[in-house]
Amino acid sequence: MAHPDAAALGVRIREARVRADLSQEELASRVGFSGHSVVAKIETGVRKVSALELSDIAAAIGIHMIEFFEEPAPAIVSHRESRTPGATDSTVDARLALLAREVEFVDSLDGGDGLGLERGPQEQSAPTTVKEAESLAATARALLGLDSLEPIPHLVEVVGRVGLIAFSADVGKDLADAGTVLLRSGAVAFVNSHSNVGRRRLALAHELGHYLCADDYVIDWRVDLYEPKTAPIEALLDRFARALLLPADALEEAWASRLEEHGPRRAAAWVAHHYRVDMATLARRLRETGLADHQTAGIVRSHRTTRSDIVELDLYVPAEEMAGTTVPRSYEKAVLLLLEHERISRERALDLLQGTLGDDDLPAPRTRRDGEIWKYVY
Amino acid sequence: MIPGDDAWVFDTGPLRTFVLSGWLGVLKFLAGERPVFIPDVVQRELRRQAADDHAIGSVLDAEWVHVFTSSDTAYMASFARYAHRLVADGQNEGECGVLAMGATLGCEMVIDDSTPRGIAEEEGLRVTATVPILCDAIRAKQLTLPMVEHVADELLANEYYLPFGPGGFRRHVLEHGLLEYEETI
Repeated sequence: MAHPDAAALGVRIREARVRADLSQEELASRVGFSGHSVVAKIETGVRKVSALELSDIAAAIGIHMIEFFEEPAPAIVSHRESRTPGATDSTVDARLALLAREVEFVDSLDGGDGLGLERGPQEQSAPTTVKEAESLAATARALLGLDSLEPIPHLVEVVGRVGLIAFSADVGKDLADAGTVLLRSGAVAFVNSHSNVGRRRLALAHELGHYLCADDYVIDWRVDLYEPKTAPIEALLDRFARALLLPADALEEAWASRLEEHGPRRAAAWVAHHYRVDMATLARRLRETGLADHQTAGIVRSHRTTRSDIVELDLYVPAEEMAGTTVPRSYEKAVLLLLEHERISRERALDLLQGTLGDDDLPAPRTRRDGEIWKYVY
Repeated sequence: MIPGDDAWVFDTGPLRTFVLSGWLGVLKFLAGERPVFIPDVVQRELRRQAADDHAIGSVLDAEWVHVFTSSDTAYMASFARYAHRLVADGQNEGECGVLAMGATLGCEMVIDDSTPRGIAEEEGLRVTATVPILCDAIRAKQLTLPMVEHVADELLANEYYLPFGPGGFRRHVLEHGLLEYEETI
């Protein structure tokens, strides 16, 4: 991207300000300009900004200064261009833009082998029928290196095998469940961790479906509640997500034996725990695979795993996936490696890790070799 | 005044060391005809520090220390690129200004922090640090080894993470012939 002149830079500042839903007055106040007219002059290119001022403007808007000079991922550019001029970013839009930028940045510095973005699979056809959704789930399992029966206890890490880098944070109950943006290589997914763990995992599985079908920019508002009549593709990707987490053959085998031994509630507790799904997802999956009638599915849907279920079934309750703000392990490792090799500052490392680690968690600065400082002494 | 490749550009840390040690005059002597610059972001960092430590203010009043401000887009793009590697919550902006001046104007940079210094080396930019300048000051008979060694030892331990204890600077410069013996007394 060629360096912009004052007018082009002004346009980029205005666009970033509008996306952040800030008025000229608010921006002027945050930066410490004398009034909104200064911002107006900057945005029209009449007044030039210094690097110091531009750094302050970026901080006030809540973006990195690099945004003014380097294009984001093409999927974000086309998404922004497709919207009404003057549209503001939703919280999830802003998150996706930030995470896409950060992931590409980390990937660019670590030589491209840490995150595995290049392991992106061949584009799959979007499902048009229930059968195709089930088939896509089977294909996905093969791409992820899973057999047709095994549970997926660490979904975030597993989707990373095909270059989908998944983050989570709690952005509130009234916002989207999840979103995905394709990068130049691989993709980033963001999951709203406000929902329960089963719904979060279902949302990420749904995003994997979008990614496999190479949907370049998606925000999902109501995963598992899409209606076939109003949102056929989304409803089929919900089906894909359920089939990915609970393959029909595996469910049939597990359900039959547990139902006979324990009855529907304990059987549901065991299967939901083993496959890390919520009861609503399990009930729906039992119905759509023909393994349970309406009444039994109702019992499953309303059951909540109890302490006695856990004790009786001898279940081990693991840490929940995507609880609060999380970053995937591959990304965490890549950032820590960049810090260890002193390619980024400690402050920036903490920033890249989204506050999931504190300064005490970072490795201590390494002891230097003599030559590193004495080579300057002649 | 636009700095050229003969200019010395200082990060906040090295200037702070010279000021708090009372050696600003020594720095002026060593610079000689060389122009000494700080980017405006370093000036701001020094101003903030001067609020807590008035001694820092003396460097802001020194007319031979020039402040560089630029709205040149190549400079700003370079600054932004370094900020993406170093800056969070407004910290480390000074280094970005120094690196951007080194990258776009070819100035020699004075940086003590190893990460920005490593970035400078990675990109083939001209960079030095405080301890080498202190050696120059001893050679120029502006400072003596006893005057310098405590500060140098502190820098070696805390800024450079070199595994030297007290007296490490003296021992190392003598063992490696970095200063002649007569320069150390």
